[in-house]
Amino acid sequence: MAEQTNQDSTKSLMEEIGITDREIANRCAFLELGEKDIKELLGIDPVAEAYADPVIEDFYKHLLNFEETRVFFQDRQVLERVKRAQKQYFARLTRGNYDKDYIEDRLKIGAVHERIGLPVKAYLGMYNFYLRNVAARLFDEYKNDREKALRAFLSLLKVVFLDMGLAIDTYINRREQLIGKQQEAMRELPTPVLRVRERLLILPVVGVLESYRAHQLTEQLLESIGTTRAKAAIVDITGVPVVDSRVANHLLQTVSAARLMGATVILTGLSSQIAQALVAIGVDLSQVKTTVDLQSGLEEAERLLGYRLVPAGDKARSDQLHP
Amino acid sequence: MNTSILKQGPYLIAILQAGQSDSDLLQLQETLLEQVGRFRSRGVILDVTLLDVMDSFATRTLRGIAQAVSLRGAETVIVGIRPEIAFAMVQLGLDTRLSGVLTALDLEEALAILNRRCREGMCRD
Amino acid sequence: MTDVVQITVRSDADIILVRQQARMLAKELGFSSSDLTLIATALSELARNIVEYARQGEIVLSQIRQGSRRGITIIARDRGPGIADIERAMLDGYSTGKGLGLGLPGAKRLMDEFEITSSLGQGTTVKATKWAR
Ligand SMILES: Nc1ncnc2c1ncn2[C@@H]1O[C@H](COP(=O)(O)OP(=O)(O)OP(=O)(O)O)[C@@H](O)[C@H]1O
Ligand SMILES: [Mg+2]
Repeated sequence: MAEQTNQDSTKSLMEEIGITDREIANRCAFLELGEKDIKELLGIDPVAEAYADPVIEDFYKHLLNFEETRVFFQDRQVLERVKRAQKQYFARLTRGNYDKDYIEDRLKIGAVHERIGLPVKAYLGMYNFYLRNVAARLFDEYKNDREKALRAFLSLLKVVFLDMGLAIDTYINRREQLIGKQQEAMRELPTPVLRVRERLLILPVVGVLESYRAHQLTEQLLESIGTTRAKAAIVDITGVPVVDSRVANHLLQTVSAARLMGATVILTGLSSQIAQALVAIGVDLSQVKTTVDLQSGLEEAERLLGYRLVPAGDKARSDQLHP
Repeated sequence: MNTSILKQGPYLIAILQAGQSDSDLLQLQETLLEQVGRFRSRGVILDVTLLDVMDSFATRTLRGIAQAVSLRGAETVIVGIRPEIAFAMVQLGLDTRLSGVLTALDLEEALAILNRRCREGMCRD
Repeated sequence: MTDVVQITVRSDADIILVRQQARMLAKELGFSSSDLTLIATALSELARNIVEYARQGEIVLSQIRQGSRRGITIIARDRGPGIADIERAMLDGYSTGKGLGLGLPGAKRLMDEFEITSSLGQGTTVKATKWAR
């Protein structure tokens, strides 16, 4: 369960996750982990030292019984190394000094397990197995002073829960980083600006338009109008699942800015649900040219541009119309 | 700084300069109105491509020019509002104040608009 | 690299000057060209209000760096007549003169942060910040 990482990052995990001295104090206070517990734990340290090996052996026997955890210890050498690290990890629990270094160490261990893909449930399951085993041994050791055994066990429970909280935080931290990166990637996903013909642009917008992307869309559209001298642009929002008042207002502003530049924006693909929702929240789209679908949007644009839309077969006739 | 005004057939074209001061703009308004009368112009094109900013004052003045020009029987088209300036104008809330004024992407387009409107009899003959 | 610039404004030529200065400072901080225009426009409004209503005042532009965040702060202050009703002055379309009444509310929309304090007979101070994206 424990393997130290040598990875040297410039920023400590504590900083990254935002665990300050005060936060450590808060966590300890919430768990009611105090001086008494530390004394209690230091008191059983020699006993813990003695039961370390057999507990570890049982521990890995248990892990190897399950497919889900077995896969992490296929290699015999790896297994031996992990066992040694694990022993250190357990030993550290009863050594006191639950300070910054301790926290950073626990976070690193959590991060390593997250990285190799050990599921949180396995992590928690392992703590559970460990605690039950240690409980049995403690009560066995202090047969004549069950009170003491209970006190020591409860103190151990606090430290273990402190550790569990930290481990879970490393998992959450990684997920958050991942989500951040994905959002970043989403942002960079540009809306293509298609130049379908002289002076006509189409922007098929797909996906959620959160404010950053909406802003980007505006910039892109206005820039493209400037560089291509487009007279009309169709913004097709068929692929946008939700349009709230903020996005709607953003679209309105875009339409307005395009008009100032001298171009007309046609909004297509507004579903009836979205249209109703917008009316309900009081967004006024009356100043905006909207059409049901892309096809009618195109027809509208061609009209604006002074083209005549003719079915493909009628080319000859259209040539006659426009000599 | 004097804004250059070009006469192009029945139209006047004013090219506004970067770093144009407020008094230059007010001066432009006077000169334009005088020339519209003198040349019996049918249209005025205000080219703002070079402006670094279109603020409340500039917008109000241009709108004033357009209104006064229209009282003298001619049409006004504003040309060359750049993307970032259009965006800033919308943020300021200026877009609705210019809703009665024609806009075009470039001179060619502006001339085409004026020609069309004159053909359709929307400006004086 | 200068990170604070202070300019006295009393004429419309000064308004042009502060816009140029702000563009330069903001550009150093990596603002996009469209943001530069937003900043210059807001500044134009604030500087013009000074010239128009207080006759003279000053603009202080400062670059700010907070961790990896970069921003520019505009302070526009004058010892002019002050504003009687700030709430109304911040409304779209409210003007005691012949303006469109968009300068103050518009500048607020153009910037990310905006604070205005004013007292009658004492003067007016506007502090506005924009962060680089
Ligand atoms: N620095 C100032 N000192 C005194 N009064 C001010 C100052 N700035 C603004 N005001 C008051 O607040 C009102 C609103 O200002 P705002 O800039 O929004 O509009 P405006 O200047 O009237 O018109 P616009 O800016 O659209 O041309 C002004 O009419 C003026 O009465
Ligand atoms: Mg003003």
